[in-house]
Amino acid sequence: MRWATRAGAHIDRAACAWLIRRVLDPAAEFVFVSDASEVPDDATPFDMRGVELGHHGGDCTFETILRRHDLDDPVLWRLAEIVHEADIDDERFDAPEAAGLDAVLRGLSMVCDDERVLELTGPMFDGLYEYLRRELLLDRPPG
Amino acid sequence: MTALAGGVPGTWVLLAYRMPREPSRPRIAVWRKLERLGVARLGDGLVALPADARTREQLEWVAEEVTENGGTATLWIATPASAAQERDVARAMRAARAEEYRAVIADAEAAAGASEAERVRAVRRLRRELHRIGRRDYFPPHERDAARAAVQALAESARVGTPEVDEASR
Repeated sequence: MRWATRAGAHIDRAACAWLIRRVLDPAAEFVFVSDASEVPDDATPFDMRGVELGHHGGDCTFETILRRHDLDDPVLWRLAEIVHEADIDDERFDAPEAAGLDAVLRGLSMVCDDERVLELTGPMFDGLYEYLRRELLLDRPPG
Repeated sequence: MTALAGGVPGTWVLLAYRMPREPSRPRIAVWRKLERLGVARLGDGLVALPADARTREQLEWVAEEVTENGGTATLWIATPASAAQERDVARAMRAARAEEYRAVIADAEAAAGASEAERVRAVRRLRRELHRIGRRDYFPPHERDAARAAVQALAESARVGTPEVDEASR
């Protein structure tokens, strides 16, 4: 399946692309557009204004996708808190990891194109997921 | 970011919006969000930020929230017609941030006489506040450095970063 989002991927889009590939569509192809009118007919748009998979009711797009697809994995919801704070920074959640993640993603988008950002952040989110999974299991930061 | 230093006005992103008077809750939520972003209020239902990828996206999501709550919103990329106009807008934004930084300085000074544990807590709170102000500070006033210095002085007086002190304040 094809998925479309705005060019200039930052934290929410990069995390959503990872989530889509990991949970919804392992063969996902991503198209980056600069305007909503450029979204191909066969692509599902996400993290764009005026689409279902966007910011809704105070949620960032990552949270919206979890909700719309009834994904209740607590590790993904913990990751969602970090993505939410890195993206929106409204202090709804306590996520000290967010500031660092925001800086890393902003820096990457300065030196890489969108495809490369997704390539590099895929393993990073895999690792973060594993870290958060162990943290939840141990109920403390894993060593 | 805008090229305020030169005489040529920079690019701004403008949000023109209208929302129903009732219910008031979503209207207030949008108002708060715009305050948090530090927008310049150019008129009734017209706000502006210096254009960059982040500010444009932030205002796009506010526009989405407006339309989801029964309002109308349009987003514009615009250039002030004169550098003087831009300077006036930037001056008002800088003055608003300066006031926030002065409040931080006053808080830091007020906390100076408190117990060590209270000073440590004040440092944490004021650093968060500096971060919040910094996110919406597009034309830093000189109060910024003074506010940072005041919080740092408080941190040093409370020996923040020393394990036993950090532990005791939890």
